[in-house]
Amino acid sequence: MQFSIYNYTFPPLLKYSISYLSVDSCYFPFSSARAVKPLLLLGTQPSSISTMQQAGSSASETEVTWEDQQNINKFGRLNNRLHEVEDEIKIAKETNESLEDAGNELILTDEEIVRFQIGEVFAHVPKEEVESRIEEMTEKTSNNLVKLEEEKESIIAQMAVLKKILYGKFKDYINLEED
Amino acid sequence: MSTSGGLTDRRGIPAAAFVEDVQIYLSQLNLDVNSALAILQERLQQYRVVEMKLLAQQRDLQAKIPDIEKCLDVVATLQSKKGTGEDLIADFEVSEGIYSRARIEEAESVCLWLGANVMLDYSCEEATVLLQKNLENAKASLEVLVADLQFLRDQVTITQVTIARVYNWDVHQRRLQQAAATPSES
Repeated sequence: MQFSIYNYTFPPLLKYSISYLSVDSCYFPFSSARAVKPLLLLGTQPSSISTMQQAGSSASETEVTWEDQQNINKFGRLNNRLHEVEDEIKIAKETNESLEDAGNELILTDEEIVRFQIGEVFAHVPKEEVESRIEEMTEKTSNNLVKLEEEKESIIAQMAVLKKILYGKFKDYINLEED
Repeated sequence: MSTSGGLTDRRGIPAAAFVEDVQIYLSQLNLDVNSALAILQERLQQYRVVEMKLLAQQRDLQAKIPDIEKCLDVVATLQSKKGTGEDLIADFEVSEGIYSRARIEEAESVCLWLGANVMLDYSCEEATVLLQKNLENAKASLEVLVADLQFLRDQVTITQVTIARVYNWDVHQRRLQQAAATPSES
């Protein structure tokens, strides 16, 4: 994870080079559990010192209040949770597909006894029971999927609200985008 | 340190103090910028170590829960077969890729692996109760762990923000000094 604040860059290995003469615009990127590539730092020509000083003085007057910090923290939590939910949605979709395939296979087969996996063993189960079990599992996974999608929507909405607030306060000095 | 809305420590994780004003913070600590930055960096490293530990614990728990649910499933199946008088025929894995057929007759009791090379015999109902309790404990621990991780990540964010602001304040000071110096030179 790498992030830059104003003209101070943190490379992942925590070796950093400080250049006091760099950066025309400063920014305050957001760090999340995933790698967030910050926006490119702008040019480092000495001739732009005067504009830098103006930019510098206006940037450092933007103070971070406790409320801002809490908003940033909340954004971080939501972002992490969003990634977790997306992973869970992927798994749920795959499980749904497998169950559907299993159901189709079941219809095609003409054996009366099906080996159904319970725990670590394959128990011999009559076809009808297998059908009802698969139906039950499919229903459970679909409900789970619907819940997860709803959670994802709500997280995205909350993140949009926070983004508006934080961009409003910090304008260019904060980066809340990913990659 | 100047703080506001202070967070209390949580299960051994020290809370990161929120800095209202960088100048006051530095003068209270009586440190120059570089040492302050070094201390904050060290704090960040410590948080990272704890985060790794918690993530490993979370992975373990997340693997354990489906296992317990599978066991519950098996016990429930055995119990349902009990009334019917039929035998349960199952194919189980003897070794990788090799399966064998087993006939499981009326099951009065099941053996549960309790860990530490200990296995105990339980009746089906007791087994269900025990497994259910284990499952609930595991889920509760997972919840606490997730909350801890969230708290930790917040502290990491606060520390990173503080590092940025301290450094930025320092840059601002240097620029002010430069601006003060150049008019006097000319």
